[in-house]
Amino acid sequence: MANIQFQRVGRVFRQGGTEVVALEDIDLEVQDREFVAIVGPSGCGKTTCLRMAAGLDHATSGSVRVGGVEVKSPGPDRAVVFQQFALFPWKTVWDNIEFGLVSLGVDVAERRRRIEHYIALMGLAGYERAFPHQLSGGMQQRVAIARAYVLDPKVLLMDEPFGALDAQTRVVMQEELVRLARRHPRTVLFITHAVEEAVYLADRIAVMTRRPGRIREVIDVKSVRESERWDALERIEDVMDQPSFVHLRTHIWKLLREQQGEQAH
Amino acid sequence: MTPAPARESSAASRAARLIWAFGTLFMVLVLWQGVTVWWGWVSTARFPAPAEVVSALRQIAVDGYGNARLHEHALRSVLLVTSGFFVASSVGVVLGLAMGASRRVEAFVNPVFLLLRPIPPLAWIPLAIVWLGLGDAAKLMVIFVSAFVPSVINSFSGVRQIETPLFEAAAMLNARGWRYWKEVLVPGALPSIFTGLRLSLQASWTTLVAAELVGAIAGLGSILNQSAQDIYPAMIVVGMASVALCGWLMTLALGSIETRAMPWRAAP
Amino acid sequence: MIGPPLAQRELLRLTGAGTFAFLALWSAAALSGITSQQFLPAPWEVLARFARLLTEPFAGYTLLVHLSSSLQRFAMGFALAVAAGLPLGLLMAHFRWIDRLVAPLFEAVRFVAPIAWVPFAALWFGTGIGGPVLIIFMGAFPPVLINTYRGAKFVEAKYLEAARMLGAGPWRTMTEVLLPAAVPSIVAGLRISAGLGWQSLVGAELIVASSGVGYMMVKGQAAVSTATVMSGMIAIGLVGLLIDVVLRRLHRHIEQRRGL
Repeated sequence: MANIQFQRVGRVFRQGGTEVVALEDIDLEVQDREFVAIVGPSGCGKTTCLRMAAGLDHATSGSVRVGGVEVKSPGPDRAVVFQQFALFPWKTVWDNIEFGLVSLGVDVAERRRRIEHYIALMGLAGYERAFPHQLSGGMQQRVAIARAYVLDPKVLLMDEPFGALDAQTRVVMQEELVRLARRHPRTVLFITHAVEEAVYLADRIAVMTRRPGRIREVIDVKSVRESERWDALERIEDVMDQPSFVHLRTHIWKLLREQQGEQAH
Repeated sequence: MTPAPARESSAASRAARLIWAFGTLFMVLVLWQGVTVWWGWVSTARFPAPAEVVSALRQIAVDGYGNARLHEHALRSVLLVTSGFFVASSVGVVLGLAMGASRRVEAFVNPVFLLLRPIPPLAWIPLAIVWLGLGDAAKLMVIFVSAFVPSVINSFSGVRQIETPLFEAAAMLNARGWRYWKEVLVPGALPSIFTGLRLSLQASWTTLVAAELVGAIAGLGSILNQSAQDIYPAMIVVGMASVALCGWLMTLALGSIETRAMPWRAAP
Repeated sequence: MIGPPLAQRELLRLTGAGTFAFLALWSAAALSGITSQQFLPAPWEVLARFARLLTEPFAGYTLLVHLSSSLQRFAMGFALAVAAGLPLGLLMAHFRWIDRLVAPLFEAVRFVAPIAWVPFAALWFGTGIGGPVLIIFMGAFPPVLINTYRGAKFVEAKYLEAARMLGAGPWRTMTEVLLPAAVPSIVAGLRISAGLGWQSLVGAELIVASSGVGYMMVKGQAAVSTATVMSGMIAIGLVGLLIDVVLRRLHRHIEQRRGL
């Protein structure tokens, strides 16, 4: 079972003499094959949560477990899609996607099969020999997503993956991700500050507070999505037009607004 | 002057610039001839006339001067530099990468480095002569010292400037040991490594010429030495031009290796 | 991953270990008796020699006098390089015809290593101050010119347009727009220039001087006194370091004032 469990997780940063409490008492479970998004204001610690699950950061109290095992260090079983893509500029698209598979010791034939599958799926056909600098931001992020999926990881960790893309590309990518996620369901933890993106993509949404970050509320989107049959609609703008969508989105905005009100600027 | 931003890179403007360049150089030639010969403003004892330079060139190319002919001198110098540079930069790059990859190695090696770094390569010449005499061994020692430092520094900074997300991606993808070096560290640092190599080459070349000037049997620097002693200005010019030409050619060669070694870069 | 910076204690420990290892190796080699004391003096012997040279003359003068000789030449050569390079760089950046005229000449001469000017320096100036100054100039001039040119040339078009709109002629444009805009680049060039100039000085003094630290080292080499030679190297290194530190401060100061 590939689930992510945050149990009473806290993160305190010590810099010089001062202590900063970034996260406090985070209790969250991402169940097997569930797509959970975390939204919150900047600096609330949502990225820190993801990084702890990835093994790129550690909790100062509580525990983070993936598949029941406590997370100690990064690895291909917890694939990360970074906001700045983090593709190796000196490797071609193909080689970038292949890199993790080599680490896993997958044999050549199987590697080829998997890479070709995802290249087709992510619309990268014809770009196998291109270098990252020759691709647009959207294409680069597709490569990064392919690189993550191809590992057949236990969990997928996406850190504001569309944050560096322009608005139009972002929408296209969201549609593609939904398609991909419905076709290859996996456990996904998705960080974003864009509420609409979260409502569109996720099964559940955890709304975080300002620093020290706590979970304010966890909202069930899946039940609404299924009962309102959003998936029957072709395009993202049609989904976002649905009253049920708007209702959810507004609810979350209000929660986030409360944070702003609490903090005097 | 190079490199300029690619504002005008059309063939027409390139041709224009070439014409200007040739025109200016031609004008300089005319002025040169005039100043030294036609109007006699500068005596040829102080600076040779163009014709004198040409005949000196012929002399050294055909008959030889200072124990050898021009290409023999050049070959000797270039070979010395190349071999010294090769050894020094290999060692330097490896050390620099190791220092970049490991903060402990950096801390341990730093003191020696900080000590050696401020000493200009040319300042090693007297020491090299005391220890190794006036032969090739001393030259190789100074070449080594001058090529070593820039290689280390630039390889080190090359590793450190690799962006954190790339390191994190490498960790996430389980890049370990040999793979980590070969497929992440070295390619990531390669642009800086090449900058270091360029600086090393230039430093080696300059230092060798200086060392040969101080004392050598053959080599481009020895041409300069000999012609200074003989008070043969035309030959001095030939020597200087040869030094410049060889230096330029070696830099070009390195540049083409650089472009080929990093096919993934966007054209500047 | 590179990992976090080392803890203070660890850092000191390793740095100390490295220093110690270096000095220990050196001392061991010196004391082992493989070579004479003249040939490979121990670290403390070098320091002792250095200290003595500060007051006892060698090759005509004390180390301090040699140093001041060297610094004088350096200062002259460097000042000349800046005085010539800065205005020329600005002019070349602003007037394209000057650029077209000077650039090919510059590129042609640029690859001649400063040290290669030694024979002419000897021919024209003998062992007078002109020789080293010429060579220092040849070393220090290119970076000043190049960096001034680049800094001024790549001034953003909008500032130049504003200057034109506000009626500034060439002189004011160069002094009140190009020059200030180019300052960060110029100062960076000064650092490089000072380094190269100092290096060229050393080279020059090895051959065409009758005083100065380079000259002192040559005499030390002739007397097979490694300690003297090393003392010279230390002096050169220290002064070079000092010059660089001063210029780096200047650079940082300017960057801060610009809010960069």
